[in-house]
Amino acid sequence: MLLRLAWRNIWRNKRRSLIVIGSVIVGVIATILMDALQNGMIHQMLFNQINLNVSNVQVHKKGFKDKKDINNFISKPAKVETIIKNQPHVKFYSKRVITFGLLSSTDNSSGVYIYGINPSQEKSVSIISKSIVKGKYLDASDGREIVLSKALAKKLNVTIGDKVVGMANTPSGSIGSDVFRVVGIFKTASSEFDKTTVFIPIVSAQQMLNIPGKIHEFAIITDKYENADIVSKALQKKLGKKYEALSYNEILPLLVLQMDLYKQLLIIVNLIIALALIFGIINAMLMAVYERIREIGVLMAVGMKNSKIFSMILIEALIIGVLGTIFGIIFGYGINALLLSGGIDLRWFAESLSSFGVGAIIYPKISLENFIQIITIIPLVSVVGAMYPALKAIRLEPVSAIRYV
Amino acid sequence: MEIIKCENLQKIYQDNGVPVHALKGINLTINKGEFTVIAGPSGSGKTTLLNLLGALDKPTEGTVYFNGEVLYKKKRRELSRLRLENFGFVFQAYNLIPVLTALENIEFSMMLLGIPEKERREKAITLMEELGIAELANKRPNEMSGGQQQRVAVVRAIVNDPDVVFADEPTANLDSKTGDNLLNLMQEMNEKKQITFIFSSHDKQVMERAKRLLILKDGLLEKDN
Ligand SMILES: Nc1ncnc2c1ncn2[C@@H]1O[C@H](COP(=O)(O)OP(=O)(O)O)[C@@H](O)[C@H]1O
Ligand SMILES: [Mg+2]
Repeated sequence: MLLRLAWRNIWRNKRRSLIVIGSVIVGVIATILMDALQNGMIHQMLFNQINLNVSNVQVHKKGFKDKKDINNFISKPAKVETIIKNQPHVKFYSKRVITFGLLSSTDNSSGVYIYGINPSQEKSVSIISKSIVKGKYLDASDGREIVLSKALAKKLNVTIGDKVVGMANTPSGSIGSDVFRVVGIFKTASSEFDKTTVFIPIVSAQQMLNIPGKIHEFAIITDKYENADIVSKALQKKLGKKYEALSYNEILPLLVLQMDLYKQLLIIVNLIIALALIFGIINAMLMAVYERIREIGVLMAVGMKNSKIFSMILIEALIIGVLGTIFGIIFGYGINALLLSGGIDLRWFAESLSSFGVGAIIYPKISLENFIQIITIIPLVSVVGAMYPALKAIRLEPVSAIRYV
Repeated sequence: MEIIKCENLQKIYQDNGVPVHALKGINLTINKGEFTVIAGPSGSGKTTLLNLLGALDKPTEGTVYFNGEVLYKKKRRELSRLRLENFGFVFQAYNLIPVLTALENIEFSMMLLGIPEKERREKAITLMEELGIAELANKRPNEMSGGQQQRVAVVRAIVNDPDVVFADEPTANLDSKTGDNLLNLMQEMNEKKQITFIFSSHDKQVMERAKRLLILKDGLLEKDN
């Protein structure tokens, strides 16, 4: 009956209650959309990195992650490969030779990471093969061909068919160099990656660097990206101390840190929204109490305990909060679903976004954290906001309440 | 047998800093089963006295005893309980909870006592039928006339079988015929259930019904017979 009383009380002043519920709905929609956008952007940054070259798990000789020295190669790739092949959750892997070197055209030169890859393996691990804007991707493990980005091609003033010279240190300290013909030009969402990464066939890289049969990295894609940590730990155990098996979490600590920071920011944003809502609720409930002072006096006179009157007012606010939350979530998810189908086109900001490694189209993604925060914070805030008005109500002496007309 | 007694009851209100001496020392004993009317002109202190006797307000001076116990030594929660179990109230107007139907208004007091839904519904319906207001059961206060509302209020006041019902000018907003009906109802309750009634009124019609008539003037009892 208390619930029924509270429910009917809410609808006595429909307009006021709807305004409060509406403000809760708007608040909930705002946090859902903000979260979806922000969280979507961070996830996109992460997945872009994963898809470009980070993959889910990397295996190197110990120390390669911190020092990409030509000498830090895996000397027995076949043995490691067998272990990786037999590891559960591993879906794809690709062998890579990686070194820092200089790429020169007749006009200019640029310091770059030279990736020696096996195209058929690499296609399953990285999106570069799908990011070709001109020409073609590499198609063999050998041959003097190179794929580089549009930005780099512009800097070096080369195009498809032109020749460039690659140069890098060999393990002995001498300089290895070779001439490559540009066969493909790519463009990704990350301008930083584009400026600094080129791809050549793995055998050609081994020849140029004088490390026949050796590689620097296994890039692994797991069945689900959430399994990266399981796989990296298992591999580390099997491979032993001479190797490092790292999940993307360890390879991209800044992005992971950013995700953590974002989660904290989310709490702050939600608390700010909650703070804004609490004043609306205090105000509305105070008005509701003042309007009903006489009636509250009658409730006191017929023997309703203060604690019951107090809870009645809290329940009213709770219902308002819960209704606002439910409809806010429905509308928020609805709007989000509409946006999700096409993504949000931020092409105007593409230039600045690409320096963060984000594409021009953001796909919103609602975080579970936000959902949990919404359904706990908002109803809680409604109840907290009603406490002061409810206290006001029960501080009245019944007679002064009844007199109040 | 004495049920309510007050000694040297005084009430001073502060009206924007100006003290208003509404009751100036009332000594009064009410016995069980009485049908007492406190009469007096407007502003004489009737409502104030009723509120003090009914534990709705605190006196400035003096004591009220209910069944020999001092009322104002009790905690707020105990007073709530007392009003719920031992007292019933009928005010001049605005007695009912607007969002509840007549039936629910009557059930409400029983709900506060923790009486199970089925039982309280039956009792409320039975009482409404006895008193001829069964057809009002599902009406909200704003769909009822003043007289109908007051009848529902009377039923609510007696539904928990109180010892005392306080009725502050219950007929003031009613025409004389409706007022008469309401008084019949209360008289019947008084005789059937031995419920003590204490009225305030400056209405002739009410005074004529009184078994005991107290006249209040300027905060003092002038006549008791
Ligand atoms: N809350 C209050 N504040 C100030 N003065 C009051 C208050 N309540 C009653 N009074 C004054 O006390 C006197 C008695 O009032 P009341 O008990 O309502 O008389 P009655 O019910 O006989 O008309 C009146 O002069 C009234 O103005
Ligand atoms: Mg009065």
